[in-house]
Amino acid sequence: MSSFSPKFSRRQILAGATIAAGSFAIPHIARAQAAAGRVVVIGGGFGGATAARYIKLFSPDTDVVLVERDANYITCPFSNYVLGGIRDITSITHRRDPLRQRHGVRLVRGEASAVDTTARSVRLKDGSSLPYDRLVVAPGIELNFGGVAGWNEQAANTVMPHAWKAGAQTLLLRKQLEAMPDGGTVIVAPPANPFRCPPGPYERVSMIAWYLKTKKPKSKILVLDAKDAFSKQGLFMAGWESQYPGMITWVAGKDGGKVESVDPKNMTVTAGFGKEKGAVVNIIPPQTAGKIALDAGLAESNGWCAVDPASFASRKATNVYVLGDASIAGAMPKSGTAANSQAKVVAAHVAAGLRGTAVPAAVFHNTCYSLVTPDYGISVTGTYRPGPQGVAEVPSSGGVSPGNANAAQRKAEADFTLGWYAGIIADTFG
Amino acid sequence: MRAPFLGLAGVAMACLMTAAVPTQAQQRIAAVNDTVLAAQACNVCHGSATYVSPTMPPIHGADAGALYSALIDFKTDKRPYTIMGRIARGYSDEQLKALADYLSKN
Repeated sequence: MSSFSPKFSRRQILAGATIAAGSFAIPHIARAQAAAGRVVVIGGGFGGATAARYIKLFSPDTDVVLVERDANYITCPFSNYVLGGIRDITSITHRRDPLRQRHGVRLVRGEASAVDTTARSVRLKDGSSLPYDRLVVAPGIELNFGGVAGWNEQAANTVMPHAWKAGAQTLLLRKQLEAMPDGGTVIVAPPANPFRCPPGPYERVSMIAWYLKTKKPKSKILVLDAKDAFSKQGLFMAGWESQYPGMITWVAGKDGGKVESVDPKNMTVTAGFGKEKGAVVNIIPPQTAGKIALDAGLAESNGWCAVDPASFASRKATNVYVLGDASIAGAMPKSGTAANSQAKVVAAHVAAGLRGTAVPAAVFHNTCYSLVTPDYGISVTGTYRPGPQGVAEVPSSGGVSPGNANAAQRKAEADFTLGWYAGIIADTFG
Repeated sequence: MRAPFLGLAGVAMACLMTAAVPTQAQQRIAAVNDTVLAAQACNVCHGSATYVSPTMPPIHGADAGALYSALIDFKTDKRPYTIMGRIARGYSDEQLKALADYLSKN
């Protein structure tokens, strides 16, 4: 059977006069295309876009289609700086066009609605289908709006935003911070593990504190946590103590911090220790893998997708890879850098599989910078390899910034935060 | 594909057609072995052969010996305080040597 799809034919026609040479040319082109294979990538965030880009870098004649619902990508990293008033939302909004212009990735704007892993085809909401030889699923997260009693999507869109997917929600939360009176309380409620961006809620608290300290210094922040510990906890808490003394109270789950219910009408939050009223309430709900991963049957009963730690191949379907936040990645956190790193390993596996070449050994990397103030950066980093229990951190590597660093070192890490962002954007979309 | 004719008009025409076809020679990372794959992690912060970071030291095309001794100094905390020590301790000296050699040439 010919591997030509109608889309391929159109592409070849647009490519110029080569196809006019006559019918004898068609089997030749078909063979060439089949040899390099067809890849569909679902999701154009840090994971999916990096996978598409690196598959083209490793195997330029592979046909790569990137399916993405939204026109532009607004990054969750740095969205806390929009809340803090030190970045504009346009500066964290990125186009994907260079993937097409520089690397030849085909960009399809649409939403994947179903995957047939037997027929190897992705169906889109508009009814069209995309056949694949390899499928990369990188849909990010789905927010569980039912995960907090009394809270729902309507409450999130009006009075109690999550701001855990950047964009309109980020701007809504920022607007509420701007509108609140000096002396009010901001309640931030992070979820239990696992969730997207483990240090994110605490960097958010830092950036809200930065805004309040400079504009509304009588205000307080109350962190009602479902957990008893969090990422970079010692560094964050020392930073809060030195930079925002008396402003931030963190309540651990074991001390009654876990939110039991909310009342959006009265802007109250009920946790184990009692009821609190917030001038601003930010609910960060429990999460699962993105909906398409669940619908395609790629997730476990816990809502996340199990993968082979050496390749991120799905445990549920052949010729399918799941990466980024949606995957169960062992010791790796759900972060943009982790997704970017996993995507390179997946790209190497996909390219090697389609070309019949040797598969390189997987090594993964993560770096998460966070700002306590615009001049005070902290980091956690890790190097990982596949192990019998999943992806594992290389012993004696990785870890967090030193607790006793001086102001110049914190400033250097704040500068590196900016460099990391510019770099990962270029490495993902450029 | 190639633009059918040269000159600015040809370039403009080619740009209009990019919806379906890449108009410039594509980059390629050939022969992806263990070292080549591991080296791609560096791009996130340090840029690539085609992108220079605003705040991170460039490493692509740097002297292999200088890169290697810097990595060893990070690994042994002779150059403390950045994240590089924590990262370098994830690799053997031989792996760091291979990475330095690759980065110096790419």
